[in-house]
Amino acid sequence: MILAQNVTKYFGRFQALKDVSFEIKKGEIVGFLGRNGAGKTTLMRILTSYLPASSGKIVIGGDDVEKNSLAIRRKIGYLPETPPLYSNMTVNDYLKFAAEIKDVPARGRRSRINEVLEECNIGEVRDKTIGVLSRGYKQRVGIAQAIINKPELLILDEPTSGLDPIQNLQVRKLVKSLKYERTVILSTHILSEIEQIAQRILIIRSGRIIVDKTLDMLLKDYSDDQCAESTLEEVFVKLHSETSEGNNE
Amino acid sequence: MSKVFAIAKKELTAYFKSPIAYIVLILTISVFNIFFYMIVDQNREASLRDVFKVMEFMFVFLIPLLTMKIFSEEKLTGTIEFLMTSPITNTAIVLGKYLGSLIFFTLIIIMTVTYYFIIEYFGQPDRMSILTGFLGIWLEGSFFLAIGILTSSWTHNQIIAAISSYVILFSLYFSISFTNSLSGPMDAIVRYAGTWSHLGNFTVGLITIADVVYYLSGIIFCLILTRFGIENRLWR
Repeated sequence: MILAQNVTKYFGRFQALKDVSFEIKKGEIVGFLGRNGAGKTTLMRILTSYLPASSGKIVIGGDDVEKNSLAIRRKIGYLPETPPLYSNMTVNDYLKFAAEIKDVPARGRRSRINEVLEECNIGEVRDKTIGVLSRGYKQRVGIAQAIINKPELLILDEPTSGLDPIQNLQVRKLVKSLKYERTVILSTHILSEIEQIAQRILIIRSGRIIVDKTLDMLLKDYSDDQCAESTLEEVFVKLHSETSEGNNE
Repeated sequence: MSKVFAIAKKELTAYFKSPIAYIVLILTISVFNIFFYMIVDQNREASLRDVFKVMEFMFVFLIPLLTMKIFSEEKLTGTIEFLMTSPITNTAIVLGKYLGSLIFFTLIIIMTVTYYFIIEYFGQPDRMSILTGFLGIWLEGSFFLAIGILTSSWTHNQIIAAISSYVILFSLYFSISFTNSLSGPMDAIVRYAGTWSHLGNFTVGLITIADVVYYLSGIIFCLILTRFGIENRLWR
């Protein structure tokens, strides 16, 4: 589904991504982990063709991101870190607009909107102005927008940041229910969350991928020297303390 | 193409959902009405020539208010990321936004058509020069809108967007004042670049190719620059 080869990204002199390569298969749910500023958002933006990579190659579903960005955009649904919502629109109008510009056929548009309203559990606010909604609702409207064109690949940048535990649970449930249909990439720094959703973990540190393993493998690897099995959190902290010591290399 | 209209529609609804549209509409029309009365009262002639000049002057101030948030707000709130990761070309985004603001601006122009009916009722105006005058002011406003959209695409700050378009519009509009101190080819260039002489021809019933080309090429030039300006690929 996704093949990334030696992707680098410079912002001026700052190197945000260093030689990032990975492959994601169809139907996988992959979690991007990393501290703030590690390069998760940059990588996601490059995958969605919002930002161009400085060098390297990304192929999604057979199309090169650089050359066929329109074809790529048809295949993906993307929720940026802050949900991209027009605060003066109603939820319904916004989703209608999203459906229009995302090639949802005019005939099925209304029923598709109803479907995502139900799927994201936001039917009760459909006629409300987005600006007055709570954070949790906004986040779910953002997800609704991302799945409206039934994308093969769903990219969610910190879908649960800033939510209360209940909203968090709702969003998590939603993402889980989506995973049966499509490839999902999500980033977060709430580790317990990734443990529950993702099958595979990519840990990014200072623009480099330092771990690319299935969740089970990762936990197993790091529990060898201990009696009890590690949690992802322990692994994460350990990895980051290891690499910061080796920072001078 | 349908996506261009979808964006235009969204822009247009955004205008009418924010107070700025109503303020601009009411302010423009009231000020125009006052000047219309004053000019007709003073000149005592059935012509809109001077009314068009006042409208031009007012548009220099008003149009940046209409266009300042077109791209800058999307950049500020991050919705630009939504537009630019949707299967829609950047050209369609720019055209849709331009079309939306153009329709709103055309509404203002349509509301001033009443002046024609008033002077037609009381006198015998030269219909042709009024028709070309409306065409001229519409073209000029459309050019100003394109400039405003361009400056709006440069920043996520509405104020900076507005001030940048004021700088450009002022230099185009007031450039005629500098021609006294210029001579030769410089004088000709500044005269052609300024808006003054172009609208002047339209208001007296003259449509010249040079004037039409001036406005159309200005619009196309600004929209192309906007199209490339919103492309992140420039900073790879």
